[in-house]
Amino acid sequence: MTQAGRDMSAGSDHEGACSVYWPGAPRQGGEKPLARRLESLEGKRVALLWGWLFRGDDVYTLLQKALTERFSGISFIHWREFGSIHGNDERAVVAALPEKLKHLGADAVLTAMGC
Amino acid sequence: MLRASAVCEQAGIPSASLVCEGFLQQAKAVCMGLGMKLPVAHMPGHVAVQPAGVLEKNILEVTLPEVIACLTRTVDQPVNAEEAPDEPGLRDIVFRGSHDAVNEHFQQRGWSDGLPIVPPTLAKIEAFLAHTGRKPEEVLGVLLPEKRTATVWSVAVNGVMSGCRPEYMPLLLAMVEAMADPAFGVEHAGATPGGDALVILTGPIVKRLGFNFGQGVMRDGFVPNTSVGRFWRMVLRNVAGFRLHGNDKATYGNTWRVVVAENADCLQALGWPSCCTDTGFADGESTVSIANYTGGNVVAQVSGDPRRQMLPYLADAVVRQMSWQLTFSVGAGLGRLHPLVLITPILAEAFAVAGITRSDIQQYLFEHARMRAEDMERLLGDWSDLVSECNLAAMADKGTIPQDFHASDDPDRMVPLVWKPADYSIVVTGDPLRNNAYVFSPSGLRGYRVTRRIDAEGMG
Repeated sequence: MTQAGRDMSAGSDHEGACSVYWPGAPRQGGEKPLARRLESLEGKRVALLWGWLFRGDDVYTLLQKALTERFSGISFIHWREFGSIHGNDERAVVAALPEKLKHLGADAVLTAMGC
Repeated sequence: MLRASAVCEQAGIPSASLVCEGFLQQAKAVCMGLGMKLPVAHMPGHVAVQPAGVLEKNILEVTLPEVIACLTRTVDQPVNAEEAPDEPGLRDIVFRGSHDAVNEHFQQRGWSDGLPIVPPTLAKIEAFLAHTGRKPEEVLGVLLPEKRTATVWSVAVNGVMSGCRPEYMPLLLAMVEAMADPAFGVEHAGATPGGDALVILTGPIVKRLGFNFGQGVMRDGFVPNTSVGRFWRMVLRNVAGFRLHGNDKATYGNTWRVVVAENADCLQALGWPSCCTDTGFADGESTVSIANYTGGNVVAQVSGDPRRQMLPYLADAVVRQMSWQLTFSVGAGLGRLHPLVLITPILAEAFAVAGITRSDIQQYLFEHARMRAEDMERLLGDWSDLVSECNLAAMADKGTIPQDFHASDDPDRMVPLVWKPADYSIVVTGDPLRNNAYVFSPSGLRGYRVTRRIDAEGMG
């Protein structure tokens, strides 16, 4: 093979042009649907999940009070029930959520804090 | 947080994720990786700096209505349709042009780090692949947050781009496997403290590939140390998906770090074990360790008597480098704080001559690198709010942290920074004839120390 031929097969020609490849990689998994939304929050049980940082306790106190005033029968599952979702055991805590939420009768969740 | 929301949604429970204004772009990017358009309720500004009245107004007027909407209003947008354009396939040629044109193309698409890259042509990629017996399509792991599959092929492409040499391939593969290890927590690589990984090499590979382990280690200038350091961040960018103004939320970024290599000759002469033994590997093995650090400082002119002056100076230097990071000891990352201390061969020899072993140094640092309990509580509680109601005595009494943190009720008692002596990493490297040291501040869980053996089979 000539030098030019070797260059072409190697991805570049004698003028210095080259063909190059994508440095990325395919994403795993496709699109996933969201859960069905609620008709109303009245009478619903809302779980509060927190990473125990950035005043999430203060924010939840404010939201709980406001939501209680607005929706009759609404109740909350305290964030201490779950442990930190952003701490030492976060993978285990997050993995355990479906079972725990079912056990506690949660209808919806709030997660915090994205800071 | 969004990962928790995604798990709940998949379990059929609607969620609302509370996100501060400055993190909405990151949330959007994470959602793409999760394959879900998670409903987000935003909080204006940053909650940490708002007076109580401002916080209440923002939450009630802005966040509350969005929380209600997130939980009750049907979100009918397609998940990724608007954000995710068609992407190339793994082996697709994405561009053809001159060296300069290739570089411009890659920069425009966010595929490079601002420096020129080596164009990843087939010939160059195949040269890398020739240094491993593994198939190009083999998946090494899935990298969050974009949840992309790191393959042997993608390692080769990014290795070429970073200026690595083909014979580094076994090392590059081990690095990406370490990156994909859940214990490392690559998903946190874009966390706001902006830490970046330090790669530490041990064993025969250091000399075999020509890594600098002597004077000026951590300075650019040696192809292996520099290009392999660059490769790390190139993979974070192109495969994991960390890009500034997207998934990478570093407040103040560190750049990629030039690789550190251990001085095996010195260790052998002193009869000291390699640092790879700290993570369970055999002395003398070729290994690569990664851990994130937010920064560090040199400890200049470590002088005098090893016991009365050198060790106290090192202990003092360690204390001065540990601040908010202590949350990885007694807060979010219980027992996961591993300060790193680099010492030069001449210091190691001075200790050895005085009868001080590597483990003696670890023990000394555990016993003497300490701070007042009240200061630690103020740091993690009052000042940073990293540990709510930080009370070391209560935590020790509950068994959450060791009793060393509650030897008495005296607020002036000196408490350790870590849980046990072995939590200190000691690495011998740097100028053999200079009496300096270096202390690194670790990022704990946000890039936890992981070590991998390097498969020597492919190193021709």
